[in-house]
Amino acid sequence: MRIDYTIEHPIALRAAFDVEGFTVLLGASGEGKSLLLRAIAGLVSAQGEPFGGMAAQHRAVGYLPQGYALFPHLNAWRNVAFALRGPQRREHAMQLLERVHMAELAERYPATLSGGQQQRVALARALARRPQLLLLDEPTSALDPVTREDVVAELIAEVHDFGIPTLAVGHDPHLAAVADRLVLMHDRRIIQIGTPEAVYGNPASGAAARLLGYRNVHRGYVEGTTNAPRLAWPDGGVSFPINGQAAIGAHVDWMIDPAAIRLADVRDALPNAIPASIEVRHVDGRITQLGLRCGQSRLWVAMSDGMQVPESPAVYWPPTAIRCWTR
Amino acid sequence: MSHARLPAAVSTLTLLLLAAPFAGLALVTRWNEFGFADGDGNAVAVSLVYSLLALVLIIALGTPLAWWLARRQLRGLWLIDTLLLLALLTPPLAMGLLLASVYGPYGPAGHLLERAGLILTNSAPAFVMAQFYSALPYYVIAARAAFEGVPRELEQIALTLGHSPWRSFLHVSLPLARLGLAAAVALAWVRALGEFGAVLIVAYYPQGIPVKLWVNLQNIGLNAVYPLLWVFFLVAMPLPLILGLAARRRRLI
Repeated sequence: MRIDYTIEHPIALRAAFDVEGFTVLLGASGEGKSLLLRAIAGLVSAQGEPFGGMAAQHRAVGYLPQGYALFPHLNAWRNVAFALRGPQRREHAMQLLERVHMAELAERYPATLSGGQQQRVALARALARRPQLLLLDEPTSALDPVTREDVVAELIAEVHDFGIPTLAVGHDPHLAAVADRLVLMHDRRIIQIGTPEAVYGNPASGAAARLLGYRNVHRGYVEGTTNAPRLAWPDGGVSFPINGQAAIGAHVDWMIDPAAIRLADVRDALPNAIPASIEVRHVDGRITQLGLRCGQSRLWVAMSDGMQVPESPAVYWPPTAIRCWTR
Repeated sequence: MSHARLPAAVSTLTLLLLAAPFAGLALVTRWNEFGFADGDGNAVAVSLVYSLLALVLIIALGTPLAWWLARRQLRGLWLIDTLLLLALLTPPLAMGLLLASVYGPYGPAGHLLERAGLILTNSAPAFVMAQFYSALPYYVIAARAAFEGVPRELEQIALTLGHSPWRSFLHVSLPLARLGLAAAVALAWVRALGEFGAVLIVAYYPQGIPVKLWVNLQNIGLNAVYPLLWVFFLVAMPLPLILGLAARRRRLI
């Protein structure tokens, strides 16, 4: 489904992209992502398609706001039946609850349900309306971090099962990683669209890389000569050689893969090694990353097997490992 | 005295102060000579029926205003706030005089209404009108606070689920505001039923309980006041009591 919306108030925003399967719109807080969803649902004034000019109650959208907004005075099945009419509304609500595996908790009130359970009831309630488009606002924000991945997997399975195009907005890279289609938003503009593989494999800019959760994205500028260009990194207080990816004098965002960084001892006096001090060890499953302080900034280094941490560490990397985007 | 016991001690003192007049009433009532003056029964009927009528009018006209004030961001809101405050602030006797000067036989509105057959002096409509004016601002202010406590997001969700704004109000705003609304209704009832000053000026007749208490005091003496006062408590109490209890159950509305 093609989304094309223009909002003027309270902030100016234009967004045009296709929603296919589970589409995630990724953007930092304050970009107006929630506002866009509310505009599509007809809750704030805006121009655009689909549903342009229709009152909120006539738009066939299923809208799940942050925190899900279940009616606290109604139990789970009455929440779902809220959008239904007629004598079969209870039966129909129970069928929907069954499809999201919540039938056993149909009599429970929202306050007694976990975040993930509330989300499934809200999903069933939104589906009861027979929407042509599902809108999810920060679907992972109210979830327990321990169960989040499972709840999201369940959510995506259900969304695929119902076959309704879904637009989820958020700033959580975990959500982006499981999308069918990814849309990146920065400075209130769409900066990149594609499959997660394509977008993660080739971020369009430093801002895109930061949104995607890449570590070691920094600012700098190119100096030196065309034959021997160097990247100055003001926050790190150093400069190092790079390949000729950008013109001399260009201000760039640059990135380095934590796995591409090598550790050495300062006393070995390797050329272009940058002295650093260890701030934090980040152990995530079998992968350990070290947070190293370089000047005013921080570099993350992935520890490979058998990698030794020297007493006074320094970092170095091949010039080919640096990725640059002109700002 | 420990810190934990101080609030309990102060609360006890406050409750004792609150209870003192009623304990006094129980003591000074002459139980062996308990009897009613002429017309007391009629006063009870007048009070109950007309207060109920006033309450219905207050709810019907006050609820939309309260919701509107809770939901709309208006430029001249302070003006409306001032008006509500003014209505609250006016001493009941003065309110009666103002009503008489506007709706009385020589008042601009009264003159017109009298031609249409509606007499707003010493009549049942006048009685209801006086109660309406004295209780309405209390109801509007309490009901507005009740509606302000309903998350706007839930009303909007009801819209996205295909409900009209009216159905959303009926099925979301009203039930979620029920505790505060019940308190507002109870407050309006108590205010309307107990109104003396404004009623005395515009409707000496028909006589409800508050005015009849005054008349009994003037004509007979204190001993003719207490029995009617007991009856007043008896008839005034059930509605706010039931409202308070019922609103705490889940599905009142």
